[in-house]
Amino acid sequence: MILRTRLLRRAMVPVLALGLAATASVGLASASTGQKGQPKVGAATLNGSGSTLTAAFLQAVIAQFKTAQPNVTVNYSGGGSGKGRTDFSNGVVQFAGTDAPYAAGAAPSKPFDYIPTIVSPVTLSYNVSGLKNLQLTADTIAGIFQGQIKTWNAPEIQNDNPKAKLPSTTITIARRSDSSGTTQNFTSYLASASTKWTLTPAGGSATVNWPASSVGGNGSTAVATNVKNTDGAIGYIDYSDAKAAGLKFASVKNASGKFIAPSLASATQALVGVQQNPDETYNPLNTKNKAGYPITSPTYLLVASTQSDAAVGNAVKAFLTYIEDNSTKLAAAVDYAPIPASFQKNALSAIAKIQVG
Amino acid sequence: MSTVTAPATTSLLQSRPASRGRRLRNHLATGLIIGSMAVTLVPLVFLVIFVVGRGGHVFGWHFLSTDIPILDREMGGGMKAAVVGTLLITGGATAMAVPLGVLGAVYLNEYGKQSRLARFIRFLSEVMTGVPSIVMGLFIYILWTLHFKSFSGFAGSLALACLMLPIVIRTSEEMLRLVPDELREGSYALGSRKVRTIRTVVLPHAAPGVISGALLAVARAAGETAPLLFVIGIVTDTNSNLFHGPSTALSAQIYKNAISPFVGAQDRAYGAALTLILLVFVFTALARVVTTVYARRTTAAV
Amino acid sequence: MATETLAPAAPRNLSEGGVPPGRISDRVFRVITLAAGLLVLVILGLIVVETAGQARSWLSAEGLGTIFSSNWDPAHHHFGALALIVGTLEVAFLALLIAVPVSVGLALFVTEVAPRPLRRYFVYAIDLLAAVPSVVFGLWAIHVLLQPLADVYSSISSATAGIPLLDTLFGSPSRSGQAVMTAGIVVGIMITPIVTAITREVFATCPASQKEAALALGATRWEMIRGSIFPHSRSGVVSAVMIGFGRAVGETIAVALVVGSNQRLSAHLFGTGDTMASIIVNEFGDATGTWRSALIGLGLVLLLLTVVIGIVARSVLGRAERRLAAVT
Repeated sequence: MILRTRLLRRAMVPVLALGLAATASVGLASASTGQKGQPKVGAATLNGSGSTLTAAFLQAVIAQFKTAQPNVTVNYSGGGSGKGRTDFSNGVVQFAGTDAPYAAGAAPSKPFDYIPTIVSPVTLSYNVSGLKNLQLTADTIAGIFQGQIKTWNAPEIQNDNPKAKLPSTTITIARRSDSSGTTQNFTSYLASASTKWTLTPAGGSATVNWPASSVGGNGSTAVATNVKNTDGAIGYIDYSDAKAAGLKFASVKNASGKFIAPSLASATQALVGVQQNPDETYNPLNTKNKAGYPITSPTYLLVASTQSDAAVGNAVKAFLTYIEDNSTKLAAAVDYAPIPASFQKNALSAIAKIQVG
Repeated sequence: MSTVTAPATTSLLQSRPASRGRRLRNHLATGLIIGSMAVTLVPLVFLVIFVVGRGGHVFGWHFLSTDIPILDREMGGGMKAAVVGTLLITGGATAMAVPLGVLGAVYLNEYGKQSRLARFIRFLSEVMTGVPSIVMGLFIYILWTLHFKSFSGFAGSLALACLMLPIVIRTSEEMLRLVPDELREGSYALGSRKVRTIRTVVLPHAAPGVISGALLAVARAAGETAPLLFVIGIVTDTNSNLFHGPSTALSAQIYKNAISPFVGAQDRAYGAALTLILLVFVFTALARVVTTVYARRTTAAV
Repeated sequence: MATETLAPAAPRNLSEGGVPPGRISDRVFRVITLAAGLLVLVILGLIVVETAGQARSWLSAEGLGTIFSSNWDPAHHHFGALALIVGTLEVAFLALLIAVPVSVGLALFVTEVAPRPLRRYFVYAIDLLAAVPSVVFGLWAIHVLLQPLADVYSSISSATAGIPLLDTLFGSPSRSGQAVMTAGIVVGIMITPIVTAITREVFATCPASQKEAALALGATRWEMIRGSIFPHSRSGVVSAVMIGFGRAVGETIAVALVVGSNQRLSAHLFGTGDTMASIIVNEFGDATGTWRSALIGLGLVLLLLTVVIGIVARSVLGRAERRLAAVT
């Protein structure tokens, strides 16, 4: 009897080993990525925070990703690009959305990648009763947002809109109260396009000392709410949220002198000829392209280049790959413009290089 | 005999009517007093009607059991994750704060009484009830979230428990103080030790009041937003695990949706607000019922 | 021969020197309850220590003087807190301005004016108001108060334009309705129940004999209130006001939703502003380094402010109670 148990035990070891090897190989196989019809990844939860400009796009992606990878739960809680960068540095989230790269010296020490996903025009949305088809130049926008132009019938605005009848309503500036990549790109545009802009240095700033006549909202949707509810308000909001909120947007004069309205087509036009930096960031602002919208904002996902947790690492790679493979399709549905195919290819190769385990 | 008139006595017994000026001031004061009552009740009634009105048409079992839509701007959907989150997080906080609070109150009233340490603790509890909830949230963020590098519902429970603890201690101590000493002395006289006396005489007698105080603390904690904002993550997925993974709560979702321009998000915010108000009102009413039962019992017993 | 009676193994009566069972459990229980009580001490101490520790880099970077400057500009690494402290005090004072008269009136209503059988129901109604969460107040205020208030601010502002002091107070009205005044109104509504509750209790302790004496002497009800209740309740009402002030200072969510997030020092009550609690909620998620340390520092200031107010309020109430105990 003892002999039998000992034999049994002896036999167990190779059987168990075989079993383990089989499971491991199946696991490895399912963790492989890079194919369009991806095999299912093991269970994991991915938490992300950051840019509210890209929030609607990420939310749409996450909803679809659930069907492609039912074992993976993805949560994106927004909060602004500043929050995303901070949470990512602190290690509280596995990925983060940011519309602008880290400031010099602020980047975390762990190796990470910027993964470009989509672009979004930043609209100048306004709420002035009776006013349609507003046109603005960079200098006028600078004057408005610095509080120097105080009413809608100011001469600067009239110059930009020679045929329009402008009311004397006071201008209320709607801006962000949180640390925002949208703010940074908007102010970066103003710094490069207008000599009158003094509130931020070149390159823009995520937080600005706005004039007292401004009202702050936490997140893009809050700015949209403020514009929607206040007569005479003007604010900078990403195209997707502004359109979904039913706001009117101004056409902005780009660097080649044409007034261009924000749209997916004009955003794509702004990207023509734009070069990527070695870290995959790029700058489509203040474009000279004739049909390009000058305030087109890039956006990136931050991800660590080495993932210590295998399940999380595989899930992150699957998620990012899914985004790059499907962004063109999903973006248009929620009013975002895709990045050029070459940017997507670079992103996919960066994702493939992420080390897991 | 001639009738005796005593004008002096009648004028003393008869009250002189107040002058017109004094009467006017009295009526004015009464008017202002009634006015202040109206001024207070009007916003309350208005608010409840407004929330019921805007939240009523989305509210229902379907609302409570449907997931929060991942896309903010979608119409419809529900608040399931938030309901689960609020119940779990507040439940966790209650499980920590109430036993500890009652034990602390027992120390203050039964053991410490007027000793310097007990008076100091009593004083600090009182002071701690005034600490803003956001400071509790910051505290737990520094101590817990940054240390464990993840969001969790439990961190929210910790923050809420810190908020509830002083309230439970104070109300429980008051209830314990109301237990007549004669009952304790009778128990001692029969040979019980202090622990047994507390367990079998004092606590059961004070139980309704303690429960009532605890319910009020729970109602307050369920409605708190600020302490949760930094530590639980605010997600849309239902998370039934209090200790692992980010979570959300009704209060946090209302805060997030309040500033949204999308009608769908606003509807859900009002539905969540209605749910939260109902929850809080139920607990407050329950507390009052328990108190009334307690009062009736003590007056009957006397 | 001395017979020694051994102590029997069976339990003795207490009168014979026996000890009831459970002495050890008594001691253990005492320690447990002491530990629970000390928890409050520990938590509060930890809060102070941790927040002070995290705020240190702000305090040392800025120096105590610059902390009280009015320049809050994270982009340029300026973290002067004056505008936020002033904003907090502005909102709190406005809230008290609204809440105190209303609360006193309400307390008088419930204790003196309301018909006796109905009094209980008014108390229930006030308790329900206290139970409404702050975030629901904010939600309601956004959709119901902002627009009408914006119009009110515009009219008052244009009506008082040119009048020396008033046009500073009422100038530059916020067109979105988000303003220091709006926050003051909402917070005022929110602190009314607690101030009323304490005031009501203080009024209720006024001895009936004093009230009846006044009435017997021919006083009208208002004169009775002024002559008997008010003098008796003075310190209690002061204490209630201080507690309300403490609550108003700490109110976070409702203020964050309606105050407008403008960190400039201004006396424009109808313009946007910001408070310490509100800016913490808005900016904490994004902040790193000195910025985060500054926000935690603001939290520390808030903590110290509410603690000091709480201590003062309690000592005032304590003095009043002792005086009452001496008199009755």
